[in-house]
Amino acid sequence: MSSAPAVTVSNLSKYFPQLELRQFLTWRRPPGVWALKDVELELAPGENLTLVGPNGSGKTTLIKLIATLLVPDQGRIFVHGRDAGRHPLEARRRLGYITANEYSFYGRLSGRQNLAFFAQLHGLDPRVVIPPVARRLKLEPHLDRRFFSYSTGIKRRLDIARGLLHQPDILLLDEPTSNLDPITAVEIRELLVELRNLGKTIIMVTHRLEEAEKLGGRLGIMQEGRLREVRPAPGENMEDLYLREVQDQYSH
Amino acid sequence: MKIWKIFTSGRSKISILTKIRAFFVRDLYEELSYPLSFTWRVGSIFFKLVTFYFLGRLLAGALLPELSPYGGQYFPFVLLGLALASFQGVALTAVSNRILYGMYTGTLEAMLVTPTPLAVIIFASVLYQFFLALLEILIYLGFGVGLFGFSLGSANLAATAVFLVLALLSQLPLGILSAAFVLVFKKDDPVTVILGHLSALLGGVYFPLKVLPGWVATLSQFIPFTHALEGLRQAVLNGQGLTQLGTQAIILCAFAVALFPLSLAFFAWAVRQAKRLGTLSQF
Repeated sequence: MSSAPAVTVSNLSKYFPQLELRQFLTWRRPPGVWALKDVELELAPGENLTLVGPNGSGKTTLIKLIATLLVPDQGRIFVHGRDAGRHPLEARRRLGYITANEYSFYGRLSGRQNLAFFAQLHGLDPRVVIPPVARRLKLEPHLDRRFFSYSTGIKRRLDIARGLLHQPDILLLDEPTSNLDPITAVEIRELLVELRNLGKTIIMVTHRLEEAEKLGGRLGIMQEGRLREVRPAPGENMEDLYLREVQDQYSH
Repeated sequence: MKIWKIFTSGRSKISILTKIRAFFVRDLYEELSYPLSFTWRVGSIFFKLVTFYFLGRLLAGALLPELSPYGGQYFPFVLLGLALASFQGVALTAVSNRILYGMYTGTLEAMLVTPTPLAVIIFASVLYQFFLALLEILIYLGFGVGLFGFSLGSANLAATAVFLVLALLSQLPLGILSAAFVLVFKKDDPVTVILGHLSALLGGVYFPLKVLPGWVATLSQFIPFTHALEGLRQAVLNGQGLTQLGTQAIILCAFAVALFPLSLAFFAWAVRQAKRLGTLSQF
């Protein structure tokens, strides 16, 4: 096994220009916003990080950059020591990206057909990889129904199942429990703890601080595109810590 | 539960062909989920042909020297024009439609986080549409032969097949260009609009190019569709082979060779722009 960090983010910045035609006609940087500024991050294999922060602070942008869905304006990302920008297909083999968009499936296809399609895009045999994931996520009774007939909870579980099909080392989760009922949310948190115990590297974006507490590991607070890591003291209440840190940052 | 141990046996080196097959099967399942969709398409072809059949009968007694290079009859002439125009419609719109759908639903992002090369995603996404388009051409011909007295007796089938392939190869890059525009500008896709109208007007779908003013007819030579349709008509109606149709074939090959790298490069640039601007999932 490689001794390189699972994820290294070096001097990463991301700028979103305003969408205007003239931006294609000029070399100058058009007006826009810096979504990320000089972000540094290193996660060892098996480590996990929960990203919290206000809406628009750059959390989703950071994990989309790691997932190779965005290209940075500055800086580099390494996945197990390999430059993800130069070797995106290699990076994608090791990353499981679980979106906040539970509609990113084909509505007229069944859950099984959807999972089979994405399994094959990962180069996997659907007959082998779907059953264990479906069993673990309690999807088996629903797999042969069409996707559009699913409840939000089942759609979200299918989304997680898709992200786990290829047995990734690193999981990128964007608000995995948003819009879920309390019981399904608890089940998903338990699954995340199980994955953490299996040695997966997890980067999770959430607004629910109890999820950060449950997952443990490092806590990253994002504000205005900057990442600041805090290490909670044993037994410290995450919500108190978060509010204190965010207020501190605003007061400076 | 140690689910990961079970997974290790699932890893296998599935070739690119298997990925392409996955796209085809996905689209087939989607099509089958709309059981009447294909039936309506067939019905639409039938009614279109009925209309032109009677128009052909109306013109049957007229002296139309412009049609003499195509056997003198209007219906066989227009049937092949309609069939290839529907094929071109797929070539121009299939990629951009798929890209738009993927952006709208988020499935494009879901595909782009798998280790599947971009080129495979583009080509495999439209394979089924081309299969259907080819089937539609056969339906046009089938209706023509079975119901409207169209004859394939003198057709050169090898040349016909070659011109269908060349029609695809010369026009698919235009569809990829169209998809690239959609990726960057979302809706303002000039390729489909301009080429769609130009091909209908200048490609000779409904009338021979000889009826156009000289300079307009010259302009039509810059559209691959014109050469594809001329080659197809000569192969089917007059039984001409590749020896006689070499010029058209070479022109179509030149279009394909020039446009394919350009369209792929532009598409790759468009994806990079979308990733730079964060608009891959914006519609």
